[in-house]
Amino acid sequence: MKGFAPLFKKEIREQLKLYRLVIVGSIFLFFGLSAPLTLKYLPDLLKMAGEQGMVIQLPAPTAAQSFASFAGNIGQLGALIAVLVAMGSIANELKSGTAIMTLSKPVNRSAFVISKLLAVSLTFLISMVVSSLVCLAYTVWLIQGTAILPYLGLNLMLGLFLVFCLAVTVLFSSLYKSSLAAGGIAFGVIIVQGIISALPVVGKYMPGKILDWGTGLLTESDKSYWWALGITIAAIGLCIYFSQRFLKNRDL
Amino acid sequence: MTAISAKGLSKYYQTVKALDDLNLEIPENTVFGFLGPNGAGKTTTVKLLSGFAHPTAGEAWVAGEKVGDGNLALKAKIGLLPDVPAFYDWMSGRDFLNFIGELHSLPPAEIKKRTAELLELVELTKYGNRRVGGYSRGMRQRLGIAQALVNRPKVLFLDEPTSALDPMGRRDVLNLILRLRENTTIFMSSHILSDIERVCNMVGIVNKGKLITVDSVEGLQKKYARSIFEMEFIEDAARFVESLKQIPWLAEPAVVMDNGTPKITVRAVDIERGRKELPRLISESGLTLTRYEMTMPSIEEIFVEILTNGEKK
Repeated sequence: MKGFAPLFKKEIREQLKLYRLVIVGSIFLFFGLSAPLTLKYLPDLLKMAGEQGMVIQLPAPTAAQSFASFAGNIGQLGALIAVLVAMGSIANELKSGTAIMTLSKPVNRSAFVISKLLAVSLTFLISMVVSSLVCLAYTVWLIQGTAILPYLGLNLMLGLFLVFCLAVTVLFSSLYKSSLAAGGIAFGVIIVQGIISALPVVGKYMPGKILDWGTGLLTESDKSYWWALGITIAAIGLCIYFSQRFLKNRDL
Repeated sequence: MTAISAKGLSKYYQTVKALDDLNLEIPENTVFGFLGPNGAGKTTTVKLLSGFAHPTAGEAWVAGEKVGDGNLALKAKIGLLPDVPAFYDWMSGRDFLNFIGELHSLPPAEIKKRTAELLELVELTKYGNRRVGGYSRGMRQRLGIAQALVNRPKVLFLDEPTSALDPMGRRDVLNLILRLRENTTIFMSSHILSDIERVCNMVGIVNKGKLITVDSVEGLQKKYARSIFEMEFIEDAARFVESLKQIPWLAEPAVVMDNGTPKITVRAVDIERGRKELPRLISESGLTLTRYEMTMPSIEEIFVEILTNGEKK
């Protein structure tokens, strides 16, 4: 993978210089804060909004609910943000001509692809770790009662799912010079696999199922989706492989 | 030694022949000017020779390396300036050259030294720490040339290197090319004919994807020499002009004023005979000759003639 180190260094600098880490981090932080805060203060908010004398009975919030709400935000809106951030990663370079400037030097195209995916994945994973720690801290403080290990498992699944979304987007970004086309198709693929993951029989093989596995850990469900986990990891690898193949086969 | 060699190199886009059966040998330390109108196949050729487009047929070697995208040894030996160089606008010019040095696996101390040298060479030292996003078109072009030189390439591909520049910028870039040609082979595509005439010692003319001719600038000028002779004398040469009118292998002798100086022009019907006999006729006239010249066509005139009438056999 000749050229990986300088390319990765450049990608990391780009994440910082273009404020991607700050933007993604801020949005994720909002997810991390909003889940426990909403759960804790929802009854009070409803009481304030409701008419005098009206009584709304809500069950006491649990840590599992807070974490599930956080996971729901990351799994859906986080995936959308992943597509938006990664859709131009290669397409914009192909369109602007910076790809030809970089690839005219002795660097592998696989190094070009992997450095991009790794850097943007790091941005999302760092943002996720920070937001999940914030979510954990606020949940413990406001709601009490937590299970660290299931929460850790959930976060691993969420992180892997985000990397899968990024890898799919990078794949289409290497195929199209239009970042909108790349993002649109990638988002479509993620939506379709999400729909299929809800179906019986085939659903258990879809990457989206690992999110169910993660949230299931919070309720001590014994359902595991090893096939989905394996396929998600394999899909990430295949996306990297085909991205660099597409780049190799295309005229720049 | 051959620096660039192409055999049957072709690139077709469906039915469009962007480049058709290019056969080319360019010796080392040549500045090769690749001339052609817009859409002739110049950029396609540069992309094929630098490994950025896949040929439909044929093969090529550059700096002793077979051209192919996966050949990293080739990329270590070449420099490329695309027609519109693009940069990461958030980087400074210095950052960008450092980055390119790292891609070439140069040691850190060498990168620092080379970056400083190149910024100096392209006169960007003062602007080295400014973001590339704030550079003018000319500054970007010069930075593009600098990045192509980081690895001291054996072969340098310059695609329209002066097209975006003002006259001063063009002059600087051409001077730079003249300095580089001592130890680098340069393949320069352009449609600015005066630039090619100024710096290139070998020229190829391409049109509609076909290489029409390849020769040295002098060879082309000889081949397309027109049979017009020009003479200037100290004395009045009216009687000499009259005597030329009697000679059957000469035509249209005339006196024309050139910046206030009378100049005699005559066309030789038989160019070889004109070359041999005219000096004798001048000598016999007893006039004092101050200038005698068989007019050479400019590259522009040759280019227009080739595109209009095809190659002279």
